Amino acid sequence: MIQFINVSKSYDTDIILKDISFTIEKGELAFVTGPSGVGKTTLLRLIYCAERPDEGDIITAGWDLRKLKQSTIPFLRRNVGIVFQDFRLLLNKTVFENVALALRIHDMHPKEIKEHVNGVLKEVRLKHKENVFPHHLSGGEQQRVVIARAMVSKPTVLLADEPTGNLDSETSKAIMNLFRGINTKGTTVLIATHNDSLFQGTGRRVLHLSDGQIEKEFIG
Amino acid sequence: MRIFIYSLETALRSLWHEKWINLLTIMSISIGLLIVSTFISITNNLDSVLKRWAKDFGLIVYLNEGLSRETEDTLKDFFEHDSDFTAVTYISKDQALQELRLALGKERSVLDEFDSNPLPSSFELTLKRELLNPAFVERKASEIKHLNGVEDIQYGEKWLSSLSTLANVMKVSAIFLGGAIFIAIAFITYSTIKIFFYRRKDEIETLKLLGATRSFVRLPFLLEGLFIGIIAGVASSLGLFGVYSIIIKKISEFLPAVNIIMTPLPIKAYFPAPLAGAFMSFIGSLIAVGKIKY
Repeated sequence: MIQFINVSKSYDTDIILKDISFTIEKGELAFVTGPSGVGKTTLLRLIYCAERPDEGDIITAGWDLRKLKQSTIPFLRRNVGIVFQDFRLLLNKTVFENVALALRIHDMHPKEIKEHVNGVLKEVRLKHKENVFPHHLSGGEQQRVVIARAMVSKPTVLLADEPTGNLDSETSKAIMNLFRGINTKGTTVLIATHNDSLFQGTGRRVLHLSDGQIEKEFIG
Repeated sequence: MRIFIYSLETALRSLWHEKWINLLTIMSISIGLLIVSTFISITNNLDSVLKRWAKDFGLIVYLNEGLSRETEDTLKDFFEHDSDFTAVTYISKDQALQELRLALGKERSVLDEFDSNPLPSSFELTLKRELLNPAFVERKASEIKHLNGVEDIQYGEKWLSSLSTLANVMKVSAIFLGGAIFIAIAFITYSTIKIFFYRRKDEIETLKLLGATRSFVRLPFLLEGLFIGIIAGVASSLGLFGVYSIIIKKISEFLPAVNIIMTPLPIKAYFPAPLAGAFMSFIGSLIAVGKIKY
């Protein structure tokens, strides 16, 4: 579950988010939309504590972020899978190593890591490319590796920032199917996108950001 | 434990991946350590020369002419009860003359010119090794000179003073040089690790976003610094062995005196460099990773 209570955030004189309140229920798949630069990425960064709000309270997966100490942030992030807009894959590591990294951070046994990573690579249909380095993959394949890395540790919350930004419509559909699959298993999924086609006809809740506030909320 | 293994793998991979900058760092540190090791070895050799010389170092106390047996015995008793001396030897006038005759060899006939034995009787006093410093010896000699029946006292004051000063200068220089080089080692490793940290900034950022703790991020850098120090230390010890082999084997072939000053180094002399290298490099890495904001 994700909860924002009267959250405000600004960078110097630029007000990004202004007194925002909303709740994403446990096991829900929802979207945040709005034009570029409206604060979608900032909203996601607030959820995994890459930013701190100026005002208000945020609760992520049961963690009250106001009370969270700096040293506890890594443990929050282990419960939050993140699909980054710029992928953030380690170019000197293979597909397998990139996905396994999330579990090495969890201090998991190598045998278990192998099992989990193989399983998740099959789900994203990249098992045959486990020994390939990221720069030899297409944009869609790289995005699937990022999703595999985000879901391998079975997080309670999964955040995706413009996950289909540079992908064609077919690949975008495939990626969205992956998110639906993850959500079916009980993970709360929040996707930030400016691409209307991604949520239209999904029957999911959409929060529309404008001028630092949730302008409207509707079903896509 | 698994995090340690991961850090070890990462550190070793980075050592290889960044081999040129690491090689440069290792060479700089090993040269620094080699300079300190060589300097300390020379100081130790000088010290051991001083100690070997000290074994035979004695004060010769010349007695007044015509001194009674009783006074000589009193003096002997006095010296023997002085805990500063390890040996007291009495040399009578006749013994002194006999020794001089032997020393003069063919020229001993010059002694026939004298009507009577011109040499005084004397005591040879051997001082404890640890008391062998110019100030103490001078004070002791002055005390003895004022004793009843003592004519004069002689010892190698100039030699003692020069050697002792040289050894002290070398010791103080070794401390300062060692200190400066150790700080330099820490700084060199600090700079290298800091460069690595900035080069892998994006990777570190990703690790943090995936939930890596501070120790997970920092341990590979600390281990890498430690390895750099150990490798540099081992290289410097091998260098020291090389320097010694050249000095002792090659130079002594045409300069045998080198053998007197330079004694072969014991095995334990090769351990401090890797230990010091590892310690200072670890300190350097610790400062480097500690200064960078997580």
